[in-house]
Amino acid sequence: MFSFFGFGKKKSASVAKDRLTIAIMSDRDRTNGYPFMDEMKAEIMEVVKRYVGVKGVEIRKEVDGDIEALAIEVELDKNAK
Amino acid sequence: MGIVIAVISGKGGVGKTTATANLGLGIALNGKKCVVVDFDIGQRNLDMILGLENRVVYDMVQVMDGEANLKQALIKSKVNSNLHFLAASQTKDKSVLDSKKVEKLISDLKEEFDFVLLDSPAGIESGFEHTIEFADAAIIIVNPEVSSIRDADRAIGILDSKSAKVKNGEEVLKWLVINRIVADMVESGEMLRSEDILEILDIKLIGKIPEDKGVIDASNQGKPVILDKKSIAGQAYARIAARLCGQKVDMKNVEISDAGLFKKIAGIFK
Repeated sequence: MFSFFGFGKKKSASVAKDRLTIAIMSDRDRTNGYPFMDEMKAEIMEVVKRYVGVKGVEIRKEVDGDIEALAIEVELDKNAK
Repeated sequence: MGIVIAVISGKGGVGKTTATANLGLGIALNGKKCVVVDFDIGQRNLDMILGLENRVVYDMVQVMDGEANLKQALIKSKVNSNLHFLAASQTKDKSVLDSKKVEKLISDLKEEFDFVLLDSPAGIESGFEHTIEFADAAIIIVNPEVSSIRDADRAIGILDSKSAKVKNGEEVLKWLVINRIVADMVESGEMLRSEDILEILDIKLIGKIPEDKGVIDASNQGKPVILDKKSIAGQAYARIAARLCGQKVDMKNVEISDAGLFKKIAGIFK
C-alpha cells in the first residue's frame, strides 16, 4: 500500500540514515581535530601576545575532499596596550 | 576487583537512568554484587526509579568530602541484597566534583563490588567527563532517532579522548543499547533499523529494548520494570544484564511486530 501511495518517495528512516551519516561525518572532522589542539592554541596565543593584545585563538580542522587544512583565527584585543 | 561501567548518552531523556536501575538490578539478580551510583549531581533521579528516595541520608559528595563514610552512605535495595545504591547530591553544584576524589571513590567501590554502574549526566558537560574518566567500559544509550544518535556520537568522541584508560593506551569498552524501539515503525520504514544505527556509530551492540508502556508504570511505583516478568522491556534488560555477567544470550529481534511475525509465518505456507 505504501509503495502505491508513496511511489518513488523515500521512506523516512532511510532519509534519517543519509542525513545522520553526513552530519556525523562533519561533526567528527570538526571535533576530533588533533589531540594537541589545546596546547597549540596556548602556544600561538603566547607568540602573538609578544606583539599585540590577543582575546582568543580558535583552531579548526577543515576537510574538503582530499585537502585538509587548519584554520587559525586570532581575535585581537583592541584595548590591550 | 570489579568493573566500572558508565551509562552514558548524548542527549537527555533517552532512558539512561531507567537503564542503570534495571541493569543494576538485573546484575544483582544474577548473583553479582553491584552498586549503582547517581552521578547526575543536582538532578537526583535514580533513587526514585529504584524506589529508594526515602532512604537517602548521605550522598556521594558527602562521601568524597569525608563527611560520611561509604558504609553509611550505601543503601541496600529492598528487592535484592546484592544491589546497593549511592545517591547524587542535590544541594551542591556540579563543580564540586574533582578528579582525585572521584578516582578515590571509584577505586573504593571497585574493591567492594563486582560491578560499579555510574549513571552519567546527559551530554558533554563536566559531570559527564568525571563519570567516564575512570570507567573501564561504557554503555551508550540511544533512541532510534536522529538527535539522540548524533549526540551519542559526540559523547563517544569525548569518551575516546578523555578516558583515563585511553590516555594510558588501553581500550575503553563500548556497548550500545538501543532503547524504545517501535517494531511496526521499523517495519514500515519510519524508524531507523538497528543495523543502520550500528553502521553509523560503529560500535558493538549489547541489547535492543522495545518501547513498553510498562516502563512508566514501573517508575511510578519505584519498582524497576525488570521485576515484571511479562514486560517486554523488562525481559530485554534481563538479557543485557545476563550478557554483562558473561552469559551468551542470543539477540532477540524486537524489530518485528506480532503482525509482521504473522505475515512471515503465513509466508512460509504460501
